[in-house]
Amino acid sequence: MEKTEEGKVLRRDNETTDMALFVRTSDEQFSGWDRQRIVDALIKETEVDVVTAQEISREVEELIASSTISMVTSPLIRELVDAKLIERGLEQERKRHTRLGMPLYDVDQLILHPNKENANVPHGPEATNLTLAERIKKEYALLSVFSEEVADAHMRGDIHLHDLGFIDRPYCSGQSLEYIKRFGLSLPNSIAMAKPAKHAEVLLAHMVKFAAALQSHFAGAIGWDAVNLFFAPHLVGMRDEEIKQLAQMMIFEFSQQAVARGGQAIFTDLNLYWEIPRHFEDVPAIGPMGEYTGKTYSQYEHEAQRFAWFLFEVFKEGDGSGRPFFFPKPLVHITEKFFRTRGHLEFLHHICDVASEKGNTYFVFDRGETAKVSECCRLSFKLDASDLEDAKQPWKMRYCALQNVTLNLPRIGYLSGGDDRSLFERVEEFMDMAVRAHLEKKTFIEKLLSYGENGPLALLAMERDGSSYLRMHRASYLIGMVGLNELVQIHTGKQMRESKGAFKFGLKVIAHMKLLADQLSERHGMHFVLEQTPAESTAYRFAKLDLQYHWQKAHHVVKGDISQGEVYYTNSTYLNNGAVMNPIERVRQEGLFHPLVEAGALTHIWLGEAKPSKESLANFVMKTFNHTQNDQIAFSPEFTTCNRCHRTSRGLAEICSYCGSRDVDGITRITGYFTRISSWNKGKIGELHDRYRNQGFLRVEGRDERYEGEMVPLISA
Amino acid sequence: MGAVKIFTKEQCPKCPAAKDVGDRLKMTGVKVIDYDLGTIEGLAEAAFYGVMATPTIIVEDGEDNELAAWRGIVPTPQEIEEMLRANGLFTS
Repeated sequence: MEKTEEGKVLRRDNETTDMALFVRTSDEQFSGWDRQRIVDALIKETEVDVVTAQEISREVEELIASSTISMVTSPLIRELVDAKLIERGLEQERKRHTRLGMPLYDVDQLILHPNKENANVPHGPEATNLTLAERIKKEYALLSVFSEEVADAHMRGDIHLHDLGFIDRPYCSGQSLEYIKRFGLSLPNSIAMAKPAKHAEVLLAHMVKFAAALQSHFAGAIGWDAVNLFFAPHLVGMRDEEIKQLAQMMIFEFSQQAVARGGQAIFTDLNLYWEIPRHFEDVPAIGPMGEYTGKTYSQYEHEAQRFAWFLFEVFKEGDGSGRPFFFPKPLVHITEKFFRTRGHLEFLHHICDVASEKGNTYFVFDRGETAKVSECCRLSFKLDASDLEDAKQPWKMRYCALQNVTLNLPRIGYLSGGDDRSLFERVEEFMDMAVRAHLEKKTFIEKLLSYGENGPLALLAMERDGSSYLRMHRASYLIGMVGLNELVQIHTGKQMRESKGAFKFGLKVIAHMKLLADQLSERHGMHFVLEQTPAESTAYRFAKLDLQYHWQKAHHVVKGDISQGEVYYTNSTYLNNGAVMNPIERVRQEGLFHPLVEAGALTHIWLGEAKPSKESLANFVMKTFNHTQNDQIAFSPEFTTCNRCHRTSRGLAEICSYCGSRDVDGITRITGYFTRISSWNKGKIGELHDRYRNQGFLRVEGRDERYEGEMVPLISA
Repeated sequence: MGAVKIFTKEQCPKCPAAKDVGDRLKMTGVKVIDYDLGTIEGLAEAAFYGVMATPTIIVEDGEDNELAAWRGIVPTPQEIEEMLRANGLFTS
């Protein structure tokens, strides 16, 4: 073989092949020209008949022979073959013969520039690997996993299929620490197994490793139930300093997992309780070495509370430069029993202090005396009789959401032309499409799981407790929504905050979706639930697509700055981000949707640079619990962090208040987590500009709290 | 002009009794609106008033403001009439 310069292969006119040509193959080799390879590939991949395959191979050979191509690659040959398939009208065969990949230019850009689709992906070689893999799996999903109708609905932007780049995994999961406490760390394909932990530090190490393993098997959040309680038996006899040290280790471990998948931190939710949840009160506790301690969990309240307390001390201190920890996220469950548990007020003030200072705390409201657990995606559900039976063996309490499909509600508004009947019919059409997408993904995941512990989802198929780790029969299928506010605006002429009639119409749309989800669940024997999709990029994507396809109507309702491209739809069932209103009233009004939306329901209270007192926030939290139906709230302060002096100050500023540097970055909550603003997509930047920061209502310490006023009713039209 | 709003759903043991109360109030000229939580209209209205149990009976002032509510229980027609009278909404 002769080369004139590196990478160029010249034809040779001796040898025995018909055409003395070398091909650069995908196996990183030069391979002699062999027309039969085209024939074999066509028959194997597309199932065309031999005669057609041979004809195509000859035509491609002639084309190459008559050209002046100096470098022939496998992808080029495939493209030429595809062109021949198209000439013959063999569309399905061409589809099956498609090569997945990316243009050279795009890879170049990808390596050089950060990915802004997900602000939790840093920029680096590992992140580039993640994005490259995601791109190919995304194409694979749309070509091979989903039907053309579903794929087209996604491409058009009627719906959004989340995490297509993770098509071969479930969406998110809810975990029980009890699994590794009882069975140790024994993972398929692992070169070593660890017995159940004896010491708290080892249990933490197991938890972190298991979380990393889970992260590579789920697309999204890994939630852990009752973490402080399940750690408690291992904490007996430990001094305060030791428990604080453990709390520090836990938070730093989960916040610095930048060596995990794609350099991402693991999206970790820690569910915490001040009280002993009723469904765990009489459950035998598992202690060191996986052995029962002879006590029930109700006897570990003291240790569980100490651990919860110290975790929040660490959250309050922040990281090494005083910034808030982005992960793990602490979710504190507020229940009726919480208010009957000794020390609850001090703890409430403690976690409110953290909420005001750093913003970490999520307040999850589990009202009513029925037992509830919060799994991934903040999906809460009441425990039925079989769940309560599972709770006696808490390692069985493993849940997942298999996929999330979000509906573009404003699109429905554009298509309905102001007609109620048409609008409700289209909601049903979009829901049907979402369900079809779920059925297709379910079939695909079941196929992968069928290979068992030797297959691609070995971890999820392992059976340490006699049943598959992934409990498919308990899987949920999420149906999200974006832009209810804009749908209502298109249809009624007013945003939900502007008129009671508009607000009630919004409720009708979501009620319709809820009833449909229930009917579809019954029909298919699956658990479809509505979700307030975080929609970090979906709210931006839908707005952009609608400006493209429905400009005349869309440019009146899309939020943000169209001239800058910073456009978005109001997320899920939220009221306009910029609406000036009493925060408790926002919590109340947005909370009216929460009983209809089982997953992800949350109201954000943007704090800006304000730092309310812990007492006032505690009062706010109690009011929310007692007087609203809101499922969850979070307070979000803003920070400026300096890239030069590495100090962090309150509020968003263009200049570091310590050293005067302009090399600064903002930090605040993007959707369900904190991150640096420089990593946000344009849509979220647009939303950030619009966010109403409750300046008129949230006062700093020592001043009166205006939001403690009456619970005002919805405004009248 | 206010109204009595009655929220019920299928297979709810106490709901027929609530509907009976509504029927009796209608005969006395009270404006009664029935909502079935199995319908879009009913579920949306229930969400608006935070109805979490059936049957629920709500007295409102004509502006959708709640004046009184019986959640998960069934009052007598007289109890509702007294409430209406106290708020100037019952003239019989």
